[in-house]
Amino acid sequence: MNVNRHQILEMLAAGKITTDEAERLLAALEPEPAAAEFTGRTSNGATVKTRARYLRVLVEADESMTGMKGQTTVNVRVPMQLLRAGVRLASLIPAQAHQHLDEALNRHGVPLTLSQIKPENLEELIDHLEDLTVDVDGKEGNATKVRVFCE
Amino acid sequence: MTPNIAIVQVESAHWRTPRLWLPLFLLWIPALVLAPLVLFIVLLYCVAARVNAWRAIAALWGIVCALPGTNVHVETHDARVRVRIL
Repeated sequence: MNVNRHQILEMLAAGKITTDEAERLLAALEPEPAAAEFTGRTSNGATVKTRARYLRVLVEADESMTGMKGQTTVNVRVPMQLLRAGVRLASLIPAQAHQHLDEALNRHGVPLTLSQIKPENLEELIDHLEDLTVDVDGKEGNATKVRVFCE
Repeated sequence: MTPNIAIVQVESAHWRTPRLWLPLFLLWIPALVLAPLVLFIVLLYCVAARVNAWRAIAALWGIVCALPGTNVHVETHDARVRVRIL
C-alpha cells in the first residue's frame, strides 16, 4: 500500500473525510481507472464513450511552494456546464473594450484577440477538454503535484 | 437546475463550525423582490455597452443554473474549508 493511499485511509478512519471523498481521492491516484469510467457498454455490447461532466483540479503543495507550514491541498470540482456558461460571459464585454483588453493582454504576454474569439470555438475547446489530463510533479525533493482532468 | 443547498464547513486549529446546510432556494424570495431592480440595472448596462440584453441575461442565468455540482475543498496545515453546492 503506498503512502498516499495510506494517508487517505487514515483520514477516512479519523472521520476527516467522507467515504465519497475517499473514493474520489483513491480514484484520483489511479488515472487509468478514472479514464475507463468514460466508457460504457450498450445492451448489445458496443462500447460507448460518455461525456465528462466535471473538471477536477487537484493540487498538493508543500511548504517550499506555499511558504506555509505543512502541506496544502486544493481539490476543486467544477461542472463542465459551468465552464460552458462562463465562456458566454465574453458576450457581456462591450465591443469598444475589446481593443483595450487586447492591448492589455498583449502587454502581459498573452497574444489573444478577443474580437476573433467566437462562442462556438470556445464550445469546441471545452468539448476537447474531456480528453485533457495534466499531471505535474515537482522536482526532486519537492512534493508538489498538480492534476487536472475531466470525469 | 438552480442551486438549492450549499454545504459549508470551516475548520481551523482552534475552532470548527458544524457542517452548515444553507438553503439557497430561500434566496429566491428576496431575488424575486429585487428582480425588477436588477433587470433594470442589467438593461441599462446593456444599452450603454451596446450588448445584446437577452444574451447577457441568458449568460448570467446559465451560470446560476450550472453551479450545482461545484465542490471546493481547500486544506492547509491549520485550516480546512469545504464548500459544496447541490
